Amino acid sequence: MAIELIKEKYTGPINTVEIGAGQGMVKLGGETALPFLFREGDMPNKPLIALEVQDCEPSDWADPVRDAFGDAVKDPVKWAKKCVSEFGAKILCVRLQSAHPDFGNGSIDASVERLKAIAKEVKVPLIVIGCGDDDKDNELLPKASQAMKGSNCLFGIATQANYKTLTATCLADGHSIIADSPIDVNIAKQLNILMADMGFDQKRIVMHPTTTSLGYGMEYVYSIMERARLAAFIGDASLAMPFILFVGQETWKVKEAKEFGEKQGINWEIATAAAMVQAGADIQVLRHPRSAVSITKYIDKLMER
Amino acid sequence: MSEFTVNFIDQKKSVRVKAGTDILSAAAKAGIVLNASCGGDGLCGKCKVIIKKGKVKAEASRLVSEDDKKRGIVLACGTIAEGDLEVMIPSESLESREKMKHDAEEFTKGVVLKEETRFSRSPLVRKIYLELSGPSADDTTSDLERIYEALSAKLDGTLVSTKLANVKHLGEMLRDNEFKATAVVAHKDGALEILALEPGDTSASNLGFAFDIGTTTVVGQLVDVNTGDVLSSRIAFNKQAQYGSDVITRIVYASEGGGLEKLYEAVMDNINEIIEDIAKECKIEPGDIYGAVLAGNMTMMHLLLRIDPSSIRRAPYVPTTTVFPSINSAELGLEINPKGIVAFLPGVASYVGGDIISGLIACGLYRNEGLALLADIGTNGEIVLGNKDWMMGAAASAGPAFEGSGLSFGMKAVKGAIDRVAIDEKLVVKAGTIGNEKAKGICGSGYIDLLCQMLKRRIIEKDGKINRTLSSPRIRKNENNHEFVVAFKDESSIGRDIVITEDDIENLKRSKGAIYSAIISLLNKVDKDISEVKKMYIAGGFGNYLNIENAIAIGLLPDAKRDVYEFIGNSSLAGARMSLLSHDAFVKANEIFKNVTYVDLSSEPAYMDEYIAALFFPHTDSRRFPSAR
Repeated sequence: MAIELIKEKYTGPINTVEIGAGQGMVKLGGETALPFLFREGDMPNKPLIALEVQDCEPSDWADPVRDAFGDAVKDPVKWAKKCVSEFGAKILCVRLQSAHPDFGNGSIDASVERLKAIAKEVKVPLIVIGCGDDDKDNELLPKASQAMKGSNCLFGIATQANYKTLTATCLADGHSIIADSPIDVNIAKQLNILMADMGFDQKRIVMHPTTTSLGYGMEYVYSIMERARLAAFIGDASLAMPFILFVGQETWKVKEAKEFGEKQGINWEIATAAAMVQAGADIQVLRHPRSAVSITKYIDKLMER
Repeated sequence: MSEFTVNFIDQKKSVRVKAGTDILSAAAKAGIVLNASCGGDGLCGKCKVIIKKGKVKAEASRLVSEDDKKRGIVLACGTIAEGDLEVMIPSESLESREKMKHDAEEFTKGVVLKEETRFSRSPLVRKIYLELSGPSADDTTSDLERIYEALSAKLDGTLVSTKLANVKHLGEMLRDNEFKATAVVAHKDGALEILALEPGDTSASNLGFAFDIGTTTVVGQLVDVNTGDVLSSRIAFNKQAQYGSDVITRIVYASEGGGLEKLYEAVMDNINEIIEDIAKECKIEPGDIYGAVLAGNMTMMHLLLRIDPSSIRRAPYVPTTTVFPSINSAELGLEINPKGIVAFLPGVASYVGGDIISGLIACGLYRNEGLALLADIGTNGEIVLGNKDWMMGAAASAGPAFEGSGLSFGMKAVKGAIDRVAIDEKLVVKAGTIGNEKAKGICGSGYIDLLCQMLKRRIIEKDGKINRTLSSPRIRKNENNHEFVVAFKDESSIGRDIVITEDDIENLKRSKGAIYSAIISLLNKVDKDISEVKKMYIAGGFGNYLNIENAIAIGLLPDAKRDVYEFIGNSSLAGARMSLLSHDAFVKANEIFKNVTYVDLSSEPAYMDEYIAALFFPHTDSRRFPSAR
């Protein structure tokens, strides 16, 4: 008699979040089982890879990544176009870094103008991330959100200490939000509930469970993601959000990736992203275009049933 | 090393201290007990003093406002003398006898429980009046034999003994009083002992004391043993707190040279002050009182009896003893009649003590057919789950927040404490106080109402952060974060606004999380759901009032059917009182403590997960609180 393998039966699916409007619109989430266990459930939307661009020259980026884009990094619009036309990015993550006090402390209006220029030139959905300084972001992101009204962007990052401004503005302008929870299922739940309490649809939240790089405690992130997912599958709606991970940002700051040549760096980014796909990442933001191309192929392969 | 003189001018006491001594220690050295419920960790802000003259180095503290600083106010615990000083102590910083008396007068009798009438009236100490026939040529029985025989007839033949001291002058006493005497008889070690023989008939008056010795508060009651009536009750903050706010710090302190003795003296001071104050109020002589029953957690009992408590905090956490022999009052240092007897309720384990066993007697959980739960919301929250066949007990370190300690305006449940709060849509606060006096502070039940109402009006979010976007004069920034004004200066009797700060809320959140998660963990341990619990007894030092609905709304108690809940007040005190009034109750306590299995939650990994998940209002898993939706 053939051995019948046990199949897990889950009740609650992961929410499906749409990013973008019109033709290029993408969907995240919707899983009904752990990643790639097609016998147990479905994974209606392919895990996505976004490329990251900044609204100013990325002075702190590792050389191999900067070099990959050549002179384009000096012009955000060119950089964005290159990602799409040359490297086939289906979605872009625009980090409004120029406004940060440590990165030139640029004007908010100038930053928003650059975002608008990118949005005008590239027709892919956008993830828009603030500069990381709470005070500055609380001015910058509402303006960026208004400017992008109707484009259904994914805005970030809402943290437990600073979520209200962003939540209110995204609610008004119809965007989705990234909610940050530093390797903590409870904080994730709390923030999701707090945002829902402000009237924000929980089904428009994407969770950031914290990203790390290969060799830097990745298994911890993995187990937190798994725990959240399993809770969501048995009906905890406050954890049923897709995951976003900033793999490029984390990988390219560790010495193993940035100091041993381009090849090792790319491999490091790919290895991290590959593991995170298995952990349940619905979208990952990468920096090196070649990593993005490779990992996309890998995902395509995994999605073959 | 240089020395300085610290002169406490209004106390007319001065003391020489070594450089580097903090003012709290200097005051202690001068015999002045300052309020310091955190034990000098700079957390409670109750030890404020005014530096009138001299140089000090003061640690910055969020509990000292800018205004205070200008007036020279510092926290005694965080301020070091750097020269000769003149110091004034504001009255609110003094845990003085006068002040305690004032506070203590106001404590309530407590909740009257059904169980109290269940046990036969067979008190710990009985007074039996004897009219003996004198000796004659035909009846040459000795005086003592004569008493034994008479007593034996009245006590169904039970054996009675006594001590030499009672015999020495017996002959003279009997002859002077026509052989009419009252025997004061007490239950001791399963037999009866004559504690004293009093001339004439004194049986009309038989009084006794019941005490609950808590980590944070000590409560005492004078009970008329003949009628069962409570004549007066007092509450005071446990003076051991000056050596540490929690049991662990006190155990550590006890192991230092002379520490155990100091801790013993501190709590005895509490107890004897309560006795003295009540005796004065009720116009009785402490010497007329022969019996007392005490209930407390395991550490408190060890410290009170000067038993080395150090093994309580070391794995595998085994106390020296869980049962305590009844002893002579003079041996304990209890200032009632020195021939009196003191009995102690037995405990289960290091962190499930006599206070909860006392509570079991008071609520009768051990007789329940269905599943029942007793939760005693104290500094060491204790929980027992079970029924007539089995019981399991666990402890949760909840901290003293619900007992009014460690919060900006926390206080005991005494007169002037805000114990109920309603907030309307315009964020106007309606606060009720115990005794309908002007507000002095907020007690545990007041904080529960307050949190619930603040959540309801969205003054705080579910993470406990004050909503900065609301515009109201009651919401304002303080030095570190935000605060909400519960009572403005003119509504209070302390000349200051009474507020709740985000730090207070954080503190309360941790306390309620500890209690809730302990309840759930214990249920999980036996694979039971909260819906299966047929009866939930909620105990704690909340005075007469606890709004169960609001306690559920903030996530302190599980969202169970409301009719299973019963608030039973200070059940530790109630059980001690019942044991004073009925030896049967005391015997029962000594039977049932053996039936309680101890569960060590600190070794349960799931407990920590439960606790972290409970640090939200009401809980991060909203499915557990359907009525909050």
